[in-house]
Amino acid sequence: MEFASVHPICLHLISSAIQRCRLSEDLCRLSVVLKFSPNSDPLLLRISISDTGIGSCLEEFQDLKFPREAVIAEKWDGVLSVRTTSICDNEVFNYQLNLKESASARRLTRLPSNPKNGVKFSGTEVCLSISESLDVLLAEINCFFQKCLLKTFSSVFSLFTLICSLLVLQMLVLKIPNVAYELVVEHDDASGLQYENVFLANESNPLHFSASNLERLKSGFEDYILKHGNSSSKKCGSCFPSLEHLKVGSGIACCTEGLRNTELVMEAVILISEISEPTSSCFRPCGANSEVLCFKDFTPCSIPPSSVKALTSIDWRSYGLTLGSIVNQHGYALLEWEGLPPSARIDIVLHCYHNQYPNMIPSARKTQLDRNLIKKSVKLALDDLKEKHAGVLLSAHALKIRNCAPDLAKTIAGLILSSKDSSFQGECFSLLGLQSEGVGGEIVEDCIKEKIISVIEMNDRKSNQKSELAPFLFENDSLQVLEFQEEEYEEGDDGPFSPLDI
Amino acid sequence: MEDLCNSSMRFFSDQHLCFADIIPPSEVRARIEVAVLNFLRILTSPAPAISDLPLINRKSSNRRVSQGLLTEVSWIFLSHSFCTRSLMRANAAKAFIRVWKVMEMCFQILVQEKRVTQRELFYKLLCDSPDYFTSQLQVNRTIQDVVALLRCSRFSLGIMASSRGLVAGRLLLQEPNEEVVDCSACGSSGHAISGDLNLLEKLILKTDARYIIVVEKHAIFQRLAEDRIFNQIPSILITAKGYPDIATRFLLHRLSRAFPDLPILALVDWNPAGLAILCTFKFGSIGMGLEAYRYACNVKWLGLRGNDLQLIPEQSMVPLKQRDLQIATSLMSSEFLQENYREELAVMVQLGQRVEIEALYFHGYGYLGKYIAKKIVQANYI
Repeated sequence: MEFASVHPICLHLISSAIQRCRLSEDLCRLSVVLKFSPNSDPLLLRISISDTGIGSCLEEFQDLKFPREAVIAEKWDGVLSVRTTSICDNEVFNYQLNLKESASARRLTRLPSNPKNGVKFSGTEVCLSISESLDVLLAEINCFFQKCLLKTFSSVFSLFTLICSLLVLQMLVLKIPNVAYELVVEHDDASGLQYENVFLANESNPLHFSASNLERLKSGFEDYILKHGNSSSKKCGSCFPSLEHLKVGSGIACCTEGLRNTELVMEAVILISEISEPTSSCFRPCGANSEVLCFKDFTPCSIPPSSVKALTSIDWRSYGLTLGSIVNQHGYALLEWEGLPPSARIDIVLHCYHNQYPNMIPSARKTQLDRNLIKKSVKLALDDLKEKHAGVLLSAHALKIRNCAPDLAKTIAGLILSSKDSSFQGECFSLLGLQSEGVGGEIVEDCIKEKIISVIEMNDRKSNQKSELAPFLFENDSLQVLEFQEEEYEEGDDGPFSPLDI
Repeated sequence: MEDLCNSSMRFFSDQHLCFADIIPPSEVRARIEVAVLNFLRILTSPAPAISDLPLINRKSSNRRVSQGLLTEVSWIFLSHSFCTRSLMRANAAKAFIRVWKVMEMCFQILVQEKRVTQRELFYKLLCDSPDYFTSQLQVNRTIQDVVALLRCSRFSLGIMASSRGLVAGRLLLQEPNEEVVDCSACGSSGHAISGDLNLLEKLILKTDARYIIVVEKHAIFQRLAEDRIFNQIPSILITAKGYPDIATRFLLHRLSRAFPDLPILALVDWNPAGLAILCTFKFGSIGMGLEAYRYACNVKWLGLRGNDLQLIPEQSMVPLKQRDLQIATSLMSSEFLQENYREELAVMVQLGQRVEIEALYFHGYGYLGKYIAKKIVQANYI
């Protein structure tokens, strides 16, 4: 999905619309209407993005710039028609915004407003028109005419598909509770106006209305992965037979930035799934790689390079992960892991948004903040995962120690069972919570091993906090103050003086 | 006034002493059982953890010197400085587990009421846990860790010392209810010193010697035994064939207590290693610092010494090796080394040379005996 090719203006408009809907307390509708007139001259495509959220404030359009790149830029005159009203306004305001106009005073033209006649409602509609002059097309050689038309058709179609998937992704993953999405395609051809209304059903949301954005993101992302993205409507039973195989961690980091003290929020959700037997029917494009899904201000977006850098700089090793490389393809970041078990899969989603409306267009300083926020939120998500699921994301250090646990357990069990003192054995068994009668060596060993491993895993989770010293095997009540010199005895070190170690 | 101060200092310094008890097997087993119970208690407690092992530090930083109250004997001992072995340090996790494995092995040995040597223990551990044990030295070190942890002597753990030492000369040994062994009739190979400290403890000793001569090297011991030097100078010859092992030290200590009037004279090569061996007999060692302090004896340095250099040809002098210099540095920095020994060491380092006792053969094979006799008569020992 190449969101980069969707006009950034469209993305911004949709994202603003979402924000306005979110901030409204009522149920809202977000509609994207594409009206295509292939028979008119020039060919006309009218994109209209409307919502029933709070009214729009003009500052939102203040910093919009006419983009030089993008496919549609060639064919757009830079004019946005805006109609907006707030709940307390008496009229519907109409504006025309000319982004091609460089002087700020002449950009905004106020048009006559429409009275509301006492009806209470709020909403915004923003329209832009893209036209392709037929002359331009006819100027081409005739045999290419069909192709050009097809090209225009296909670009409209792809735009439609893109917007559709964008909205679906938004709806599915972000689960904004009070917004209903609607995508309408009208096309005007010889037989008259054809109207196709695609109303995107908002799946029944099990989350409470007051659930936080992060919880919604978590729930939405889980659904998204369980359904293999947008490709199916149900959770895949063969890949995920039970939800136990799904481990989710989330993290949120915020900071205030800018002169207006807007709060910038970064949410990260990490999902680790164990797929026992990947069935051929389910398409798993990534394998040992993780795709990072990005959202910005409630709209899907491509991952900015600063975020890619931030992801590279995270200390994955302390979570037992080795990052091979990050590939940035088509605006998606693909993390390539080394040494990940074949049945394991890691998915990550990042969402950065402003907590206020209107959104500010990104500035250079924001990328620095983004980087720190990404690192912080991803780290919090990883810690959250470790905290909730024992034995997951163990650091390389803990894994090394854990490998020794069976031998230690065997030795201690051996000590207990070699003893001929039954009261000693009895006490050991009762400490372990085992029955004294007829306990086999293996049971004792496994019991001890389990406890040792859980201590190792618990210590690994706490490793970021101040490490507590483990208690000593023997408490000493000697008169001297003990100096605890922690020394590493090197393995197999002969030393220069042994045995003459005077 | 100063004497009083000094003597009270000596008295109090014993409070710093950390030692390993010589205890019967049942008590060692009990200590190991306490270790296991403590481990399990901490593992299953509401705040579970894997306890660290506190081991008395066997490094020179923890070495102290004590001087006897009534005797001239001083010794090295270890004080209450600890280092820990922890499972939680990834690189040292195996060392931690090694200590437990040796404890398990010793426990089993004690339950079966057997005794093993360090060599036997090494092979058993090598077969049992090849991932953890790779060398004899590692096993020996781990055994010392267990000694430092449980504070009981190696012998109490059921590990027999090697029988490396030899004794010859005017000494009669008798194990209880056994035949008397006359060490002057043992030939040039002498009588092997048992590794069983219990046995050595019970030996009945009788002598008419006037001196005890501690010899560094086996070859010299053999020469002197063959020449029956102990008949010319009434003496007992004893050697550990190199670095002193615990059994030899034990026996020497017993001899010194049984026959306190006999001066103990050491015959070592003139090099830092020779002096180090002498010092080990004299003061003890850090490696077995928890036990060795008991067996320190008042050993005096007979030869070779700096003033004997005139007796040997220059060609016999060999340059000091790197290792010799390291030993010299270590000895120089020890606080127990007396001034005259320090001077000797300084000359060695300054000349950069060393001399072996065999250099005396330049004057003929019988010369060594005459050299020793002359020195003893002149009381030329420090």
